[in-house]
Amino acid sequence: MNTHPFVIERTFNAPVEKVWEAITDKDQMKQWYFPMLESFEPVVGFQTEFNVRFEGKDHIHIWKVTEVIPNKKISYEWRYGGFEGNSLVTFELFSEGNATRLRLTHAGLETFPPLADFARENFAKGWTELIGSLLKAFVEQ
Amino acid sequence: MRQQATDPFQAIADPSRRAILQMLARDKLTINAVAENFDMSRPAVSKHIKILYTAGFISITETGRERYCSLRQEGFTALQQWMAYFEGFWTEKLNALELHLASAASAKQKKPKDKKHLSSKKKISKR
Repeated sequence: MNTHPFVIERTFNAPVEKVWEAITDKDQMKQWYFPMLESFEPVVGFQTEFNVRFEGKDHIHIWKVTEVIPNKKISYEWRYGGFEGNSLVTFELFSEGNATRLRLTHAGLETFPPLADFARENFAKGWTELIGSLLKAFVEQ
Repeated sequence: MRQQATDPFQAIADPSRRAILQMLARDKLTINAVAENFDMSRPAVSKHIKILYTAGFISITETGRERYCSLRQEGFTALQQWMAYFEGFWTEKLNALELHLASAASAKQKKPKDKKHLSSKKKISKR
């Protein structure tokens, strides 16, 4: 079983404050991340739930914010309603002149049930699309 | 059709089988539909379903050519009964602790009686 966290790094042509807003402001998150997100606050202890319907199946996402360092780092627990397991997603930002390097770490994927929907490859594909294409296009527009 | 019963704890010891129960908690599913959710062969999924069936966690009903799996209470009841004993045990212990703390608090107010009791106990342990 692969227990290493999934990690992806990308550099965006945008200042760190702009990337921070994109990953923590609900209205901006809805545009590139999850359109169905109902609420979000970058505050430790904040919890939110939303449903993602995929291939006819409901996936209740439950997030709980565990760490916030403005413009630097945000972590939240990420689990699925009605299923075992809990994972931790961390976004870290590094200012590099006018650009920003983002490192996304998703740990604990191995705690989810052994269903195809929770397969590591699916998360890898999802994050590569989200961070590599959608967020990049959003912050560089 | 029922075979030798499987230990319900053994039945839920496997993460794949727990995942099957979690899926069936949402909706009844055909064996094929269950199998589609896993990266394992259909015979392997069928084997898991058989174990859940013999442990009393699921029912299998035939509708036309399809066999549908749905949750059955029996297996869960067995787990619940086992857990209930410990719930009772701890409730009793906490009640006893509450009584003990209450009597200790009231004993503090009646010091002399308490002292006598303690000193006699000390003598015994010294011997």
